Amino acid sequence: MKVSHYSFIAAGVFLLALPLNGATAAEIRVGYTQDASTLDPANHRSRISEGIIRNMYDGILARDDQMLVWPELAESFEQLDEVTYEVKLREGVLFHDGTEMTAEDVKFTFDRLTKEGAMGGETSPRQSLLGPLEETSIIDAYTLRFKLANAWPVFPRMLPFQEVVSKAFVEKVGTEGLATQVNGNGPFKLVEWRQGDSIIMERFDDYYGGAEGIAPVQAAQVDRVIFKIIPESASRVAALLAGEVDLINELPVHAMARVENNPGTKVLKTLGTRSFFILLNNTQPPFDDVRVRKAANHAVDRQIIIDRILNGLAVPINGILSPQSFGYNPDLPVYSHDPEKARQLLAEAGYPDGVDVVLDAETEFKDLAEAIAASMNSSGFRAKVRLWERNALRAHWDPKKPKEREMYFSSWGSGALDPAGIFMPVLRSDARGNRSGYSNAEVDRLLDGANAEPDQDVRSQMYQDAQVIVNDEAPLIFLWLPQDIYGANSRLQGWMPSGRGIIKLHDAYLE
Amino acid sequence: MTSAPGLPATSAESDRSILADNLREFRENSLAVAAAGVVAVFALLAAFAPWIAPHDPYETDLFRRLLPPAWEQGGDWAFLLGCDALGRDVLSRLIFGSRVSIAVGLAVILIATTIGTLAGLAAGYLRGIPDAIISRLCDILLGFPYLIFAIGLIAMTGPGFQNIILALAYKEWVLPCRVVRGETLAAREMEYIEAARALGASRLHVMLREILPNILSPVIVVATFRMAHIIIVEASLSFLGIGIQPPVASWGSMVSDGREFLLDAWWVSTFPGVAILLLVLAINVASQGLRDAFDPRLQR
Amino acid sequence: MQLRTLIERILQLIPVLLGISIIVFAMITLTPGDPVEIMLGDQISTPEQEAALRRDMGLDLPVHERFFRFLSNALVGDFGNSFFHRRPVSDLILERLPATIELTLVAMLIAIGTAVPLGVVAAVKKGTLIDRIATVASIFGVSLPGFWFGLLLIMLFAVHWHILPVAGRIGYDFEVPKVTYLLLIDTILAGRLDSFLDALGHLILPAVTLGLPMGAILMRVTRTSMLEVLDQDYIAFAAAKGLGRMRILIRHALTNALIPTVTVAALETGSLLGGNMIVETIFGWPGLGRLVVEAIFSRNYPIIQTAVLLYAVTYVLLNFAADIVYTLLNPRVKL
Repeated sequence: MKVSHYSFIAAGVFLLALPLNGATAAEIRVGYTQDASTLDPANHRSRISEGIIRNMYDGILARDDQMLVWPELAESFEQLDEVTYEVKLREGVLFHDGTEMTAEDVKFTFDRLTKEGAMGGETSPRQSLLGPLEETSIIDAYTLRFKLANAWPVFPRMLPFQEVVSKAFVEKVGTEGLATQVNGNGPFKLVEWRQGDSIIMERFDDYYGGAEGIAPVQAAQVDRVIFKIIPESASRVAALLAGEVDLINELPVHAMARVENNPGTKVLKTLGTRSFFILLNNTQPPFDDVRVRKAANHAVDRQIIIDRILNGLAVPINGILSPQSFGYNPDLPVYSHDPEKARQLLAEAGYPDGVDVVLDAETEFKDLAEAIAASMNSSGFRAKVRLWERNALRAHWDPKKPKEREMYFSSWGSGALDPAGIFMPVLRSDARGNRSGYSNAEVDRLLDGANAEPDQDVRSQMYQDAQVIVNDEAPLIFLWLPQDIYGANSRLQGWMPSGRGIIKLHDAYLE
Repeated sequence: MTSAPGLPATSAESDRSILADNLREFRENSLAVAAAGVVAVFALLAAFAPWIAPHDPYETDLFRRLLPPAWEQGGDWAFLLGCDALGRDVLSRLIFGSRVSIAVGLAVILIATTIGTLAGLAAGYLRGIPDAIISRLCDILLGFPYLIFAIGLIAMTGPGFQNIILALAYKEWVLPCRVVRGETLAAREMEYIEAARALGASRLHVMLREILPNILSPVIVVATFRMAHIIIVEASLSFLGIGIQPPVASWGSMVSDGREFLLDAWWVSTFPGVAILLLVLAINVASQGLRDAFDPRLQR
Repeated sequence: MQLRTLIERILQLIPVLLGISIIVFAMITLTPGDPVEIMLGDQISTPEQEAALRRDMGLDLPVHERFFRFLSNALVGDFGNSFFHRRPVSDLILERLPATIELTLVAMLIAIGTAVPLGVVAAVKKGTLIDRIATVASIFGVSLPGFWFGLLLIMLFAVHWHILPVAGRIGYDFEVPKVTYLLLIDTILAGRLDSFLDALGHLILPAVTLGLPMGAILMRVTRTSMLEVLDQDYIAFAAAKGLGRMRILIRHALTNALIPTVTVAALETGSLLGGNMIVETIFGWPGLGRLVVEAIFSRNYPIIQTAVLLYAVTYVLLNFAADIVYTLLNPRVKL
């Protein structure tokens, strides 16, 4: 039941009828940072859009709130050989228009994702998320095979990023139509998309229930779900406190106490998938010297920043991987906060009187960057912060161009929780996210080897070895992995945040 | 202000006595005088910031994070107005911030008024092609949405003091330009201008020495009004994340940084907000007083 | 006569639009940031994917070619596809435009509705307490940073007193048939007073936040020009003829005094359209301003180019409308 105060006033004053419908409907409203850029599951690269789309479309595989991967539209999923995977689909999965999903739809979905120009002449921006997927073939009405061009062991961890569309529907409305119309197989149907304002969905009564492995298996609990777009954090928090929404994403750390102490609201949190670090320019003085890089790692007092600014809601990391990631090495040496050692290392490297450095940061991280600079300044560095508009700064640190700047407070997120999505792009020589200019032949060899290694134990060991080298060479200042924080109505049940960052409200309800 | 030999001295002299009248009328407006006093106090704060501020405005201490003002529970009298998110003294940052806000306001207005006045004189006096070019340029700049240009410019060049001034000044000159053009069009038909021309004064001389002094009042009034506006707009740039570089703070960036804490640590953004309000209020009241006193069309 | 002026204005529009397009393209080219990189973000990618995206965005062409292609397509009403929404820019802008227009118009109405009476009273009672209060109040209006004032209103009216909503355009319990796409009008056309009030409730805080500074400026303009007009001979003449005071004020003084108010109002409306992105962000208002700001930060060139042209055309048309209002107010003014 959700009737706003102001319409009560209106009704009271003018003795008018109550709102049309919904007076008894169970409904959950989400205050969300950004609108979806499209509702077409294959035509975006945005986790924000995916978070909305996932309520209306399901995938072959899905992750639960512990980040484990389960078959969703699939009944089973198995690897036949190094390059072949077989999917058995559930029978009786219906699209919102009542038609049944078959292998035809799945093949159509994956062809549309992978084939050049398959989306009305354009190519899906999600194509490379499927790596070397070459051919999707139908075995029978409910069985398909995925064939890769070469071994790519991360494939099962990448499949949860894709959702299955209806072939007949796409052929009817075209790629243009699919941007704003939905005929999905997820727990909610699209009612109305008010662009820039909200997305309204209602329960799909014939929903098959969702992943067998993720209990409970059932149709959605609530009648209606609304994603309401509120970009400004302070306003989003205000909307939660005012009872206008039941759940908000990106709750700012400093508002936690307010939300916790407010009767009727609570804080939900989970370990995120975005690693924070400071990129050091490994190609130029002073950071081309490993001693200076180590000094920088000893100079930053990570713990006090985590405790005081991040409210203790982050774990320090000594490499680039999340502790939840595949191939994480838990035994890496720790760079303790040690100003003396930092000064000594700087002196050894030829900077006995300290060294001037500039720390670049995006405007939204102003506080953290300033705190880091202050911390370095008591350990022999003279660091100054320079703020930039995000994409201009990234262009200055373009991996393909010569590097001229010194330090960059940066991060990399990888929802796949696999080194292939973060270790490889950030630290392999000349990789597309390697902005520090770090290059180590042994690390490259291990990463390339692991990328195609079918034996998961061997693969994990290769990543662990590579982490030891990277930790010792300190191409970055290793910082932390923050928790994702959500604010919620205290009566909200049946939904827990996951590192995936997806708000799928299939099982959620208000007590 | 002396007039060239052989030219009638009327304009400069009558100008001086009008100025004296104007100033007298301004002085009689007690509210405006009080406002001018407030502006002076802020200017002094800015000038002597290092001696007045109780703390180093850049010194961070995370153990003082979001310390409340002295009179609130948990406050500390050493930090009268509390501390910000990095434990810096809000009062000291306010005092130092006045430098940035006033400097930005002054710089933008000086640049814009100078360019605008010259362009307006040229357009209004020369007319013809210069006028057409300047007018179309004004149209282009006014038709180009201001924040889009500012964001674009700063994304292009990176945030920084000069770039912010540039982003604020690029079209600010259009307003004085339009005012001056209109006044010049009227002034060029006046007798004393015709006389100066008849006596063979150069165009430059007529524009700068004869016309300019007589149309300065509205220019000054517009400039003071707009300076207040500039200080506000600088705050908007900070809101959009393209404001001044740390560790320096302007009042605008302090309000903007602190807005996130409005519910939990109101002092971080409220005090700079009040400071902006006071200064802008004072500048506006003073300039309204100026306008009432100076605008020739309002003379009895 | 007026038709000729209209044609002249439209012809003048050509160099302005061309100039603006050149500036936009220059800025786009000079601003660092690659839309392809921005779209791919941190996720796994391949060089083939990058090339395909670049081709889809048309960024594989040299900049001058892109410029001429944009101009020639724009002439026939094709503004291209948004890079990240991957659908026509014209659709996206049309979806967002009504919200912005509605917000701007209501803000304008609030501003004029308070500014003109206050300005007249302040001028007539020049130097009295009323004048000073009105002056100080108006200055308050321009002295508050909009985002701060907006957040303050949210905290008070939505969080504290629970009488107005934080964000959005209308509640979810109403279905309003779309006729004009302006919800205040559509709800009335549908004969639903409750949904009208709901829409009004959503609109009021952002409109006040947006309208306040403009009202303050308009009030001062009205006061000044009213003072000027009251000083004119014909007012004294009218008084000497024995006409009633109210009648002189309204029929003779105000109509003339309103001319500068109208000019400033037209100019300010233009800048409101381009400057309300802050209010739209704070109040989650689904308008064009937010779309454009997001487009700038994400280097979504087609949206930036189109929106800037749209703003420029609006600006020129508003000025023209202001000129027409002059002639209505004062028939002696010729266009």
